[in-house]
Amino acid sequence: MTGLFTAVFSGFLLAAVAPWVHRLAPRRSGWILASLPLALTAYFVLHIGPIAEGAAFRAGFSWIPFLGIRLSFLLDGLSLLFCLLITGIGTLVVVYSGGYLKGHPELGRFHAYLLMFMASMLGVVLSDNAIALFVFWELTSLSSFFLIGFDHERAAARAAALQALLVTGLGGLALMAGLLLMGRIYGSLELSRMMAEGSGPLQSNPLFLPILILVLAGAFTKSAQFPFHIWLPNAMEAPAPVSAYLHAATMVKAGVYLVARVNPLFAGSPFWFWMLVGAGGVTMLLGACLAMVETDLKRILAYSTVSALGTLTLLLGLDTIRATEAALAFLLVHGLYKGALFLTAGAVDHGAGSRNVAELGGLRRAMPITALAAGLAALSMAGIPPFFGFVGKETIYQAVLGSSAARGLVTSAALLANLLFVAIGLIVGIRPFIGALKETPQHPHEAPVDLWIGPLLLGAIGLAAGLVPGAVGHDFVLRAASVVMDRTTETHFSLWHGWNTAVALSLVTFAAGLTVFAARHPLSRGFARVSGALAPVGPARGYFRILDGTIGMARGVTRVFQSGYLNRYLLFVLFTTVGLAGYTLFFRARLSWPEEVLHVRFYEAGLVAVMLVAALTAIRSRARLVTVIALGVVGYGVSLLFLFFGAPDLAMTQILVETLTVILFVLIFYRLPQVIVLSRSAGMRLLDASIALACGGLMTALVLTAVRVQWRPSIASYFSEHSLSLAKGHNIVNVILVDFRGFDTLGEITVLSAAGIGVYGLLKLRSGRGEAP
Amino acid sequence: MGIDSLPAALSVIRPELILAVTALVCLALDLLYKPADKMPCWAVAFFGSLAALASTIASWGTEQEAFSQLVRMDNLSNFFAVIFLMVGLITLCLSDSYVQREGLPAGEYYTLLLISMTGMVFMAQANDLMTVYLGIEIMSIPVYVLVAMMSKSPKSPEAGLKYLLLGGFASAILLFGIALLYGAVGTTQLADILRQAPGALKASDPLFLAGVGLLLVGMGFKVSLVPFHMWTPDAYEGAPTSVTAFMSVAVKAAGFSVLIRVIVLSLSPMAVDWSQIFWWLAVLSMVLGNVVALVQENIKRMLAYSSIAHAGYVLVALTTGTETGIHAALIYLFIYALMNLGAFGVVIAVSREGDQGVEIRDYTGMARKRPLYALAMAVFMFSLAGVPPTAGFIGKFYAFSAAVKAGYVWLAVIGVLMSAVSAYFYLRVLVVMYMKEPEAGAEYSAGPWGAPIGAGVSVSLWVCALSILFLGIWPGWLSHFAQQALQGLTSLL
Amino acid sequence: MEILLAFLIGGLYAAGFYLVLGRSIGKLIVGLVLLGQAANLLIFTAGGLTRAHPPIVPEGALEAQPPFADPIPQALILTAIVIGFGVLAFALVLVDRTFQRVGTYDTDDMTSTDA
Repeated sequence: MTGLFTAVFSGFLLAAVAPWVHRLAPRRSGWILASLPLALTAYFVLHIGPIAEGAAFRAGFSWIPFLGIRLSFLLDGLSLLFCLLITGIGTLVVVYSGGYLKGHPELGRFHAYLLMFMASMLGVVLSDNAIALFVFWELTSLSSFFLIGFDHERAAARAAALQALLVTGLGGLALMAGLLLMGRIYGSLELSRMMAEGSGPLQSNPLFLPILILVLAGAFTKSAQFPFHIWLPNAMEAPAPVSAYLHAATMVKAGVYLVARVNPLFAGSPFWFWMLVGAGGVTMLLGACLAMVETDLKRILAYSTVSALGTLTLLLGLDTIRATEAALAFLLVHGLYKGALFLTAGAVDHGAGSRNVAELGGLRRAMPITALAAGLAALSMAGIPPFFGFVGKETIYQAVLGSSAARGLVTSAALLANLLFVAIGLIVGIRPFIGALKETPQHPHEAPVDLWIGPLLLGAIGLAAGLVPGAVGHDFVLRAASVVMDRTTETHFSLWHGWNTAVALSLVTFAAGLTVFAARHPLSRGFARVSGALAPVGPARGYFRILDGTIGMARGVTRVFQSGYLNRYLLFVLFTTVGLAGYTLFFRARLSWPEEVLHVRFYEAGLVAVMLVAALTAIRSRARLVTVIALGVVGYGVSLLFLFFGAPDLAMTQILVETLTVILFVLIFYRLPQVIVLSRSAGMRLLDASIALACGGLMTALVLTAVRVQWRPSIASYFSEHSLSLAKGHNIVNVILVDFRGFDTLGEITVLSAAGIGVYGLLKLRSGRGEAP
Repeated sequence: MGIDSLPAALSVIRPELILAVTALVCLALDLLYKPADKMPCWAVAFFGSLAALASTIASWGTEQEAFSQLVRMDNLSNFFAVIFLMVGLITLCLSDSYVQREGLPAGEYYTLLLISMTGMVFMAQANDLMTVYLGIEIMSIPVYVLVAMMSKSPKSPEAGLKYLLLGGFASAILLFGIALLYGAVGTTQLADILRQAPGALKASDPLFLAGVGLLLVGMGFKVSLVPFHMWTPDAYEGAPTSVTAFMSVAVKAAGFSVLIRVIVLSLSPMAVDWSQIFWWLAVLSMVLGNVVALVQENIKRMLAYSSIAHAGYVLVALTTGTETGIHAALIYLFIYALMNLGAFGVVIAVSREGDQGVEIRDYTGMARKRPLYALAMAVFMFSLAGVPPTAGFIGKFYAFSAAVKAGYVWLAVIGVLMSAVSAYFYLRVLVVMYMKEPEAGAEYSAGPWGAPIGAGVSVSLWVCALSILFLGIWPGWLSHFAQQALQGLTSLL
Repeated sequence: MEILLAFLIGGLYAAGFYLVLGRSIGKLIVGLVLLGQAANLLIFTAGGLTRAHPPIVPEGALEAQPPFADPIPQALILTAIVIGFGVLAFALVLVDRTFQRVGTYDTDDMTSTDA
């Protein structure tokens, strides 16, 4: 079953070569490239029969064996429905883009992004492995990012692209976290394995609620549910075919797909029900109302898409067979008419030069075919029989009337949204084409065939499907619904069910919709006033507030931690180190006064006193030479101590090094100014002094603890035993350094030579060209 | 223990010897040749490193100790040596024309680079705390010098000084740690420490605990974990960009090699204690690194902060103290090396003499002027952000799933959240490159196929970019080698 | 004697830390040298003090007679002294260079590398 692989990856391959294809045939590239999605459509159409009979197709191979990740694909009723939408509409959109962006210098790149998106989207709906699903999920966000930002001359397009990516990308990461946790509970990342285990292990797990929230965060951001819906209207900065394909027909449905796919695992939980119904209901109403406020064709359509996505979420949340069927039927309906309407909006923009509904009217003469396509789509949207939209709306009413909870509320919400849909359908699909011809920026003319073939076909399919609802329902909706519900369903779809409440509601919807259309201007002003009043607390403002807040915080953190002051850096390190050591000393061990092993001799006490005085001098002195001499006194003192306590070699080395150090200091300090102390405020000095004293005290405590640990047989006795026998040396330190650890000595030499080269290099630079200021 | 036969011992440190000899040859060549012609120096350094790499790969699978068990060659050390030498070779490719353009003293430059690599291999092979200390010093001192070498920028000596002083401080702290540990258990050998650790822990020996703490501080410095990271942005910005590239990956990987060997493997009996500290260091590094990177305008500084965050991700994997965790860390370090080197490669390619053109706004509209560089940079930025299907995603995925597997769910969640934050500043570069028009008069150094700065840079960019894509899609073989690197060692856990 | 040395080490550390926190780069380096010496003494003391018995195998004997000073810390210190000197030499040259280049020895003025 390598067909599924080919189906997914052929898109990526073609995307990689698309710019070259375009370069070879710049005028026909859309038609040429559309052959792949067309072939894929045919491929998936061939599966309709077997899958309607209950078959499922699988393919898979090991991807990251160490983590048990397989790249596995599953084609069942649910994925098939999506695959057909993706490839079918994809074919039309690729053709459309060739015409819409004709002559655009970057059209080749555009095709590449579009095909990459199509392949990723197929990957999302076909993946059976949670991680593979996530990977494809993020790839769709990425291609959306590039497509929204395609017209990147405008700052708005850039901001919108980034906003869409940030919102959906973040959601994607949450989804991955949720999926990983699910994988941990089920012991497998294969979705079908999880389904086989059932919802028991997940719902009884204490992490159930966090997982639910994480998964829904992914779904809601992608499918633009309130309050994450803000990115979708802004994404309309993208060219029209992108809006039609990604932001209406397919990508935004990925969240809905995810909810449908994992529904068998989460269904039955009240959280699942209320989150979906609540978010879906609010989004449905909000989107429809905001659509009434807008005047730009594409933004109106965007908000109505938000509303449609809310409807889908709400229906899936109801979790009855009828509601699921309604959701899937509506998904199909919406993909068809919304894709068509976006494409005609693009054609109108192309032909008349404006997308403002107030400026458009009477275009039917100049653009008859576009008008026909838009009319078909609008009637389906309004839910007029015999369009498939009517069937969709009927099933929605039947579903909400059968809701188990809050039936009245849900039904009224659906009614309200649907009547607004009627009005919106008329505004965007009918109004621009009827009435008197209005003055437009461009003399209106019919679009070329590339631009009308797509919407016309989509509109026609919407009508044809409405004429044979039984076949469509049986072949597409029922099988998909049985996957979502995890049991078979056998409901019959038809245009006419006889007189019932749903039909009555449809009539009310249509009548009220016409009224709203007539009263659209005052209504729009009213909605605008309300939404304007709510804007300061709305999520759109919230997004920027979070963004600005984060940046502000980042600046603050930078100021505090990266001041650039060397001594403050040292202070941080000191604090951490001393804190760590101090914590261990005081909390993990008992401090006690050690027994004196050796008694102090008077000259030793004198030496210690001299060294302490010298250290103090090194601090206080303002003169260069005095400081260096004081430093030297401390150093020679240390070497004397080494000598007193059985380390003559150390003493000698120390004396040698100390002498060299003093010479170096004198040499360098003579190049610095006379006075080497910089004034500081008394407060600062006091602060420094107290910190220094505290650290010194801690070190004293450390030594006092250390000397309690007495002599024990250790590796030292080994060296003592073998010093003479193996290395023929009497001095054990020397033997260690030269024979047993000749290697260390080699290392020291390397270090010294590296420092030497450094000194040499710097001196050379100074004498050479480096002198220039 | 004993005094080993010399040839056997030398075969263990063969890569180091090759590197050291090459360094000497380089230095000699520098003295012999006229300053105008530095090519032989570069070639010697390149082929020397290549020979060292070949020698390392040839000894894959052997396990041997030498010099009274001071050094130990095994697959773990070989894995790290391959990273260091690979990074070294790519750095050499990035350096060639850059060194000429910036007027750096070529002989010293290559010599120091080679010495530093020698130190790194020692660190990877360290089997004794003394070797750890020495290795760190051999690695660090040349790098301090290299940082301060940029004569055309006033920032360079200042950066070198800061790095040197803070680094010197850290070395001193590390040395204390070693001394305290020795005071506690009477040995500096890692195997013996592992044997003695349970006893010392039982007695709650303060010296032992404080010693381990101090060791952590010292290593935290080298891998620049918060709060020991302060030197990082200054040093990365002031250093010659090729050196920054080298430091940001090789020095970090070397630090982690020691961290893995000393803390995670040899002190595994006290995993309860250090994993708590790791947890905090990882969180602090991820949060601070990513948050501060948001507001950086200079791309070198931005990458510096991002490198701090990436050290945090590696530490997330190590916090678990499990085989899966170390395995993930190895994979992450390998991938990180490629993507960060690549990103700095683009920075070198785009910059102009005197380290001009390293502000993010200098990248405006690059997709139009230099489409191939922009594409490569896009791959590196996506990978650094952890976006599939790049290798960066695979690395993060391994790291976070190791954490989840070991029960550190919150750590993984914080990591994922911070990756999301990081997406913002990586993508900002992308937006600037792809979605803005080049400003009028924006300068790009010109050259064949848009390669202003020598074929070496272009070649290394493509090697890095293609490997990242390759590893993103077929991560299996890297995982396989990382697993081999841990064979026989994880029985210690 | 250990107690006395403990206080000497504490005092040297305190002096070193104080200087390190100051503004003058010259004094800062002096502070680092003091810290290094304190560290060496600390290792030395922590390794166990023995008066006047160097770890030397006497003529005619096969191994050193205990108590002798612990040779391992001594070897460690020796390494530290040598490396410390190398670092110091380079640091001093670098200070000089920074001063020539940036014209300041005040660490508070050395913030040009910050955003």
